[in-house]
Amino acid sequence: MFTFAKKAIEIADKHRVDFGDIRIIEARRQTLSVKNGEIGSLNDIVTLGFGVRILFNGAWGFASSDIMTAGEVARVTRLAITIARASASLKGKKARLAPEPAYQDFWQTPFMKDPFAVPTEKKLDVLFAADKTLRKDPRIKSTVSSMNFIREHQWHMTTEGSRIEQVLLSSGAGCLAHAVNKGESQARAYPSTHGGQTLSMGYELIENLDLPGHAERVRGEAVALLTAPPCPSGKKDLIISGNQLALQIHESVGHATELDRVLGYEESYAGSSFATTEKLGSFRYGSPIVNLVADATLPGGLATAGYDDDAVKAQRWHIVKDGILSGYMTNREFAGRIGKDRSWGSCRADGFGNIPITRICNLSLMPGGASYEDIIKDTKDGIIMENNKSWSIDQKRLNFQFGCEIGWLVKNGKKGAMVKNPTYQGITPEFWNSCDAIADAASWRLWGVANCGKGQPPQTAMMCHGNSPSRFRNVKIGVKA
Amino acid sequence: MHDHKSVCDRVLRLAKGCPAEVIITSGDSALTRFADNLISQNVSNSSTEISVRVMDKGRVARFSLNQPSEAALKTAFERAIETLKTQKKDPTLMPFAKPVPVAINRKLFFPGTADLSPAERAGRVEALIKKCRRAGAIAYGTYETGASAVTVANSLGIRAFHKESYAVYSVTARCGDGFGWAESPAFDAREIDFDQVDRAALDKAKMSRNPRGVKPGRYTVILEPAAVTNLLFSMGLYGFGAQFYQEGQSFVSGKLGRKVLSEKITIKDDALEGPSAGMPFDYEGMPRRSITLIDKGVARELAHDRKTAAKARTTTNGRALPMPNTYGPLPLNLALAEGGSSLEEMIKSTEKGILVTSFHYTNLLKPMTVEMTGMTRNGTFMIENGRVAYPIKNMRFTESAVEAFNRIEAVGNKTESSMSWGRISTPALKIRDFNFSSATEF
Repeated sequence: MFTFAKKAIEIADKHRVDFGDIRIIEARRQTLSVKNGEIGSLNDIVTLGFGVRILFNGAWGFASSDIMTAGEVARVTRLAITIARASASLKGKKARLAPEPAYQDFWQTPFMKDPFAVPTEKKLDVLFAADKTLRKDPRIKSTVSSMNFIREHQWHMTTEGSRIEQVLLSSGAGCLAHAVNKGESQARAYPSTHGGQTLSMGYELIENLDLPGHAERVRGEAVALLTAPPCPSGKKDLIISGNQLALQIHESVGHATELDRVLGYEESYAGSSFATTEKLGSFRYGSPIVNLVADATLPGGLATAGYDDDAVKAQRWHIVKDGILSGYMTNREFAGRIGKDRSWGSCRADGFGNIPITRICNLSLMPGGASYEDIIKDTKDGIIMENNKSWSIDQKRLNFQFGCEIGWLVKNGKKGAMVKNPTYQGITPEFWNSCDAIADAASWRLWGVANCGKGQPPQTAMMCHGNSPSRFRNVKIGVKA
Repeated sequence: MHDHKSVCDRVLRLAKGCPAEVIITSGDSALTRFADNLISQNVSNSSTEISVRVMDKGRVARFSLNQPSEAALKTAFERAIETLKTQKKDPTLMPFAKPVPVAINRKLFFPGTADLSPAERAGRVEALIKKCRRAGAIAYGTYETGASAVTVANSLGIRAFHKESYAVYSVTARCGDGFGWAESPAFDAREIDFDQVDRAALDKAKMSRNPRGVKPGRYTVILEPAAVTNLLFSMGLYGFGAQFYQEGQSFVSGKLGRKVLSEKITIKDDALEGPSAGMPFDYEGMPRRSITLIDKGVARELAHDRKTAAKARTTTNGRALPMPNTYGPLPLNLALAEGGSSLEEMIKSTEKGILVTSFHYTNLLKPMTVEMTGMTRNGTFMIENGRVAYPIKNMRFTESAVEAFNRIEAVGNKTESSMSWGRISTPALKIRDFNFSSATEF
């Protein structure tokens, strides 16, 4: 593949571009699902293609194709140069890339069991078993159990001399039951909503998740939610964990600290950010116990790789340290705008057909000192919410509202009654500053976000957010329509 | 773009008598993105997906690839046949569809739009940026052009092909703390009034400077078409698909023939004609018949594929997604019928209310009532005594779309279209007692 890639680099060099690179990607993606006792989806997708990125006179051009011929790579490279020239016709700030050494390297996701070597029949057996248990109640009207596996083989070559080969692997699974009765519909999922749990692992993840073993509880809770009282309205201490806290981190810290959007480059679509660059190093984002660390080296992390798509080596850095805004997600183009002479390496593209953009890395809330049980014991009037159901945040990442699948009231240190349709609202810095307890490492888990959308044209990326259950004081809950 | 016909023929030949269906989707797209008064991103992408479904004695498998070479297709077929052998039989599996005549929408492809050059796109962006610089404003947005093609074919003789071009010019303008937005999609880029889009975004950005904070609560709202689109999209996704209906998860479930929305609301799903026209067949190769989902507030029809239609003892109206799938059939060409009020008349008739340009980051809370939340964006204004009084800071709404569509005061007399997952066209709506649950700081 590097022989194929070399053609693009030669043409880019010949045209004396500022920078050029080519990424060839061969991907295999398998999705399987069982819905209501029938096969819901069963697809095995193989794609191959390449994308060429050119920086010419400080302006970008990008073109891609899935036709793998020498003639096509030459045409596409010249098209990328033509597009970059058109971009450069508008006078303005010129893009300059932060320096990075050239690498020749191979990296791959560690795994124990290759999911593509596991027979489809075996996977479907697991899904049918979970689905059968989920449907053992007439009030369950809809069920979905699913798995997905992605292997992406990348060859990345740059005009600076980098030649990087990577093989990234992820696996995911989950199950979901919808209970319906008397005009009420309630859902319960395991281990989390939005397709379940996905991590950079092999089939061992699916075995550890044990969907059939959890289906009975999921079914029971979905049915119980139908008659549970609604989440009360008012202010209470909120305890969240799992994929809900992961999404809270994702939406209110991850996206808010993508440097491209902080600088206004996403204004037309997803918006900008309140976490502007003059706040770096001084803004109190959260309480002093809040430490949020970005880490592209984290085992199991969906954004974990040897290098990002700017050919920058994987790093680990603080976004929020002791409550203070301390870093951003960067690419090589914008790192210089905050006085950094090197990117933190958080630039990735969705497949071969998209230009790399600044993305959220794995971003995790570091564990605190208390046990989860002690946090509940210490809560007088609170609510535990679990599993994200809906999310919404304004375009500066300040005002948010989240809805969860299930809640339990906490009274005088004891977990009590189940409530349905729990929701909460807040303003980002106020919310993170109200965090007064984070559970210890014993309950810290990694949670995957496998469907993060950003950019125009839209791109999907995956990342993880590790966390342990955390408490936020005096939060507005039970938002009514 | 690969030649669809030759790829189809090769796939069906390789099936060697095994019942097979092939869906080919391909596209050439180019997008110029601008921010901070310069071109920030400029991309071109050419892609194809060949997706094949094979069946054998009640067993099914699907594979997809983007390389149409004989060797790649053979490997994929071999893998699919292996998968078929080891699978359990599915007694509910339907055979492939038999051919039915399908209309051809020839009016939707314009070569000049499909092949628009990067220099032409840059020229439009340059003109906008000059206007913004003169006005002390900053431009953000995209100008996207391209073409897409879809073929659905199967071994029983279905051969359906659709091709269309598209252009979408979208502008966000910023004047200090004021934002404005306007967008125009078209099949033919020559139909876009670029100056009008530029002017609309800039004027609104100027108008929305120095916004004031207002208390959340219930207000009469005038939602411009872009904001209505958000609500209608979710209603279409969770309300009108026959699978959701049959599972009892739709607000229409059990209420066909009954009034479910305001009598001022009529919603059609029409791929053949009108502002939401598009691909005239579905992913089973069945014709997308024009259907009336809501007729003057009364629930009339649902989006069906062959599977849900068989369950309901009716015939498909051509709303299938690629099979098998977990969503069921969906309406992808929604059109909310226009009424008789101009936007100006709606404002003039409002003593106190809020004018909303668009919503941001909307999401579903409860499917049965299509209860949603989201933020206002790109220009939100207080209306007092029949005129736009002043800009206000953005607000979060938490509201049931079904209940809101039962509190309609007036329907706009001009529809606007948008392209996202399918097409949606809507007029503006005036709705009373719309719930804003909180506010933000800008």
